[in-house]
Amino acid sequence: MSAEPALLSLTEVAQAIAQKRFSSREVTKSCLDRIEQWQPRLNAFMAVEPDEALAAADAADAALAKGNARGALHGVPLAHKDMYYDAGKIVTCGSKIRRDFVATSTSTALQRLKDAGTIRLGSLQMVEFAYGPTGHNTHYGAVHNPWGLDHITGGSSSGSGSAVAARLTFAALGSDTGGSIRMPAHFCGVTGLKTTYGRISRAGAMPLSQSLDTVGPLARTALDCALLLGLMAGADPHDPTAAAEPVPDYVAATRESIKGLTIGVPSAFYVDDLDPEVERILDETISVLKREGANIVQVELPDQRQLTAAAQLVVAVEAAAFHKRWLIERPQDYGPQVLMRLQNGLAIPGVSYLEAMRWRGPALAAYLAAVAGTDAVIVPGAPVPAPTLAESDVGNGPGAEAVIQRLTRFTRPVNYLGLPSLAIPSGFTKTGLPVGMQVIGRSFDEAMLLRIGAAFQRATDFHERVPEPA
Amino acid sequence: MTKPTPKEIKAIADVAGVPVDAEVATRVANSIGPAFEGFAAIAGTLPFDLEPASFVVVQTTKVSK
Repeated sequence: MSAEPALLSLTEVAQAIAQKRFSSREVTKSCLDRIEQWQPRLNAFMAVEPDEALAAADAADAALAKGNARGALHGVPLAHKDMYYDAGKIVTCGSKIRRDFVATSTSTALQRLKDAGTIRLGSLQMVEFAYGPTGHNTHYGAVHNPWGLDHITGGSSSGSGSAVAARLTFAALGSDTGGSIRMPAHFCGVTGLKTTYGRISRAGAMPLSQSLDTVGPLARTALDCALLLGLMAGADPHDPTAAAEPVPDYVAATRESIKGLTIGVPSAFYVDDLDPEVERILDETISVLKREGANIVQVELPDQRQLTAAAQLVVAVEAAAFHKRWLIERPQDYGPQVLMRLQNGLAIPGVSYLEAMRWRGPALAAYLAAVAGTDAVIVPGAPVPAPTLAESDVGNGPGAEAVIQRLTRFTRPVNYLGLPSLAIPSGFTKTGLPVGMQVIGRSFDEAMLLRIGAAFQRATDFHERVPEPA
Repeated sequence: MTKPTPKEIKAIADVAGVPVDAEVATRVANSIGPAFEGFAAIAGTLPFDLEPASFVVVQTTKVSK
């Protein structure tokens, strides 16, 4: 076990606190020390609350001493994307408009983690209103990638990816509407779970697109994601779209072998125009899965470009509708790129939007038919490793949409279909940048993805590597 | 489905109650154009009885390998 508690995984640190090998104060102090060291370089935190965190840690230690553990994550300090409402706390949503917004309720996902015993370190940076894939933020500055400070983290859960990678928090909530969990996971070398649409309640989470938004964790391992998902999943009276599907034992699923499973590799789209390093790492990942006993087969998927287009139509209209009042009253308070993308939604007729919504069912059925002989499908998280901050700082210029579309190319179709996808660290480029793969499954079958991810992580060490301060 | 021109976008935005100038309308046309082109093969082809809620039906149907 590491002498530095912050370097443990979520599962390990929760056990260490429960068994009194570390106190919550020691663990929290270890995270705060790393935050102090890394924050000036990364800009990953929106707010750090050391005094409150240490006081909460002391209270957790006192409760544990009396035999009153709250739950599976008793005394574990965490920080989350600054879009999860936490009663009494400022929740900026990465925006100028909500710079002083104080939440009056607590989001269901966050409350369930609190009920399990977690304490708050502060809040994490994000792209303005979660509407962008790079990690740039006009109002609060870009978040930096701990594996290369000149490189992007990906977005919109930029602080979550950066902070988990640098071991500043054991895990973090992100949100995924077009790839906002999986891209930071891919670019920052952490494990990220985009859940099935409806698997985790969205109540009290800032909305971007109500038909595509999903809540999920970024953490160091698939096992950690399994633990978190089990705590958060399930029906919620505050969110009628939260599914009542049974919540299986996700942690148990991570212990199973993948011997005999069938994993599909698409014959097109997800393997086209890949950066050579991403292509190499995809091949190496497939080799590992084969060695672990999985059967690899090629799958012919329906046209994924149509899914991407449909997703764009849906998110553009729904985001514009949420923001319409501020588009009228406060357009000057948006960053240029976010304003441009919100204005896009104004240009889409209602019939076009509803056609995109009506096609979702048949599109999902066609996808499921295409992957009928497989347990999951594996594809890269993005076609490229993390670009530099400079080359991706395109604002609302003429090339902005092309940059956005290239980065989100492999993630948007999954949102449109509402499927779960686990992003796992799968290798490093020659220059030391992480690359991740997505394992895409069937609706509500996160257990299969976590099983595959955990088996891959038992066979590799990419998820255990820790960036060093420059 | 054809992508809207900047002139059409200006008119649609006016109707939506959020007017945009010609420069913004041109930028929006360039930005959203590829989505219209990508969805063109689907637009206007969907069967009469298909509702958005069919997605939930497919999503919750038990499927195994």
